[in-house]
Amino acid sequence: MTWIKIAAVDQVGEDEAVAVVVGDLKLALFNSGGNFHVTDNICTHQYAMLSEGFVEDGCVECPLHQARFDLTTGAALCAPATQPIRVYPVKVEGDDILMDVT
Amino acid sequence: MVGSEQSLPYERPPLSKVMLSGSGSVDEIQIHPTGFHIENSIETLFGVEVSSLDANGHTAMLKNGQTIEWQHCVVATGGKARTIAGLPLDTDRIHYLRTIADTLRLREELRQSRSVLIVGGGFLGLEVASTARSLGLSAAVLECSDRVLGRAIPPVLSSWLYQSILATGVDLRLNTRCESFDVRTDGVSIGLASGEALSADMVVVAVGLEPEVAIARHAGLSIHPGNGGIRVDEHCMTSAPGVYAAGDCSSQTHPFIGSEMRLESWQNANAQARLVAAAIVGVPIPPQTAPWFWSDQFGWNLQILGVPVAGLQYHRRGELGTADTATKFMLLGANSAGQILHAIALNSGGDLRQLKPLVDSKTPCDPMFLCDASAPLRPLVRAALTRTYTPTVS
Repeated sequence: MTWIKIAAVDQVGEDEAVAVVVGDLKLALFNSGGNFHVTDNICTHQYAMLSEGFVEDGCVECPLHQARFDLTTGAALCAPATQPIRVYPVKVEGDDILMDVT
Repeated sequence: MVGSEQSLPYERPPLSKVMLSGSGSVDEIQIHPTGFHIENSIETLFGVEVSSLDANGHTAMLKNGQTIEWQHCVVATGGKARTIAGLPLDTDRIHYLRTIADTLRLREELRQSRSVLIVGGGFLGLEVASTARSLGLSAAVLECSDRVLGRAIPPVLSSWLYQSILATGVDLRLNTRCESFDVRTDGVSIGLASGEALSADMVVVAVGLEPEVAIARHAGLSIHPGNGGIRVDEHCMTSAPGVYAAGDCSSQTHPFIGSEMRLESWQNANAQARLVAAAIVGVPIPPQTAPWFWSDQFGWNLQILGVPVAGLQYHRRGELGTADTATKFMLLGANSAGQILHAIALNSGGDLRQLKPLVDSKTPCDPMFLCDASAPLRPLVRAALTRTYTPTVS
């Protein structure tokens, strides 16, 4: 496991999301109900940023066509998406949000 | 499931967009992963048509002579593209767009053409024009009404779209009626009322959808005289017990709108499918919320929530700037009670989603309060929902 800091806790408010770039990875960092999640940022349905989507109840809705994904498992929960998004391990240490980049 | 098309069920929205501009196959736009129907014991008959329905006897006869007995029947026959007499079906250089077969044929011809005339400036015509332009063709769109998308958006947005579409190089003609057609082996010409004739290598006709309701009508089901759809109640049940209708072919009193209509949208098809399924298995589900629609065209994502009820005043959030991909704005249409019943987002679907609880609940608010584009929308919506805001003084 290689953990790197990607943001500070106060950078992402409740039910908010920010885009994060780590190397070649375009990622989205979510705060849903106080829990942090990191996923690929590009929707598996069409090119849209999930970091601009609607965050609620541990899920994100794509802003383009409202495909919904589970932020914990990455599963596609409703049409028009059928492919899951990739999720990455996240942990919080103090004020830092860390993700595992291995 | 009996389907007249040969393929597994697929999504139609991509047919005017990525399926037309790209080189993918229908496999990429299937609604369910391969194997889904087998795994769920759903028997499928594709390339097969129902010829008649016996609503009382609970049977359906197929064109191949086979009879199916059913407990519940769902008519989800959608519709066919409305045709123009002078531009017949199955004719070289003339295209209608409804199915994957239409898309593949259209795609092939677009690749070999330099110019296309598009009859109809609705959502489909504009999306086809957008795709054609992206492929390098010159495109003209002929629209008979005085503004684009007149039944879906307010005039201020029609104006913005008109200017923005012209700026992409599309020859967009309003108030334009096609009077004569000359279909030749080397191209097509259309004569306009003004006397001008426009020519192109090919023509795409996008002048609307006729709901497919012949089987329902012959079975004695009630059909709406105005919109032509199979009339259904709030559970999508038709006038015949045990027979449901859903999607483009159905006519329903929408709970958000309050009047009976036939809605042609991906979201309505999905929402009504859920209503039918819930009714069949006997599970109560919440009624439909505000209708939602999207269009991807010319690099923009346009989303519409609710309906353009008469008498709405529109308030703008964001600037109606030039149409590059950085432009984003919303138009909030509110009635005199302050209920936002129609909201449109350009390149800001995420914001529209934030607004949804307010629109769905028809909570009266002060729309101007929501229009400060520098402030995040979510807290403003939350405040409006709980009515803990200070109304702006006009």
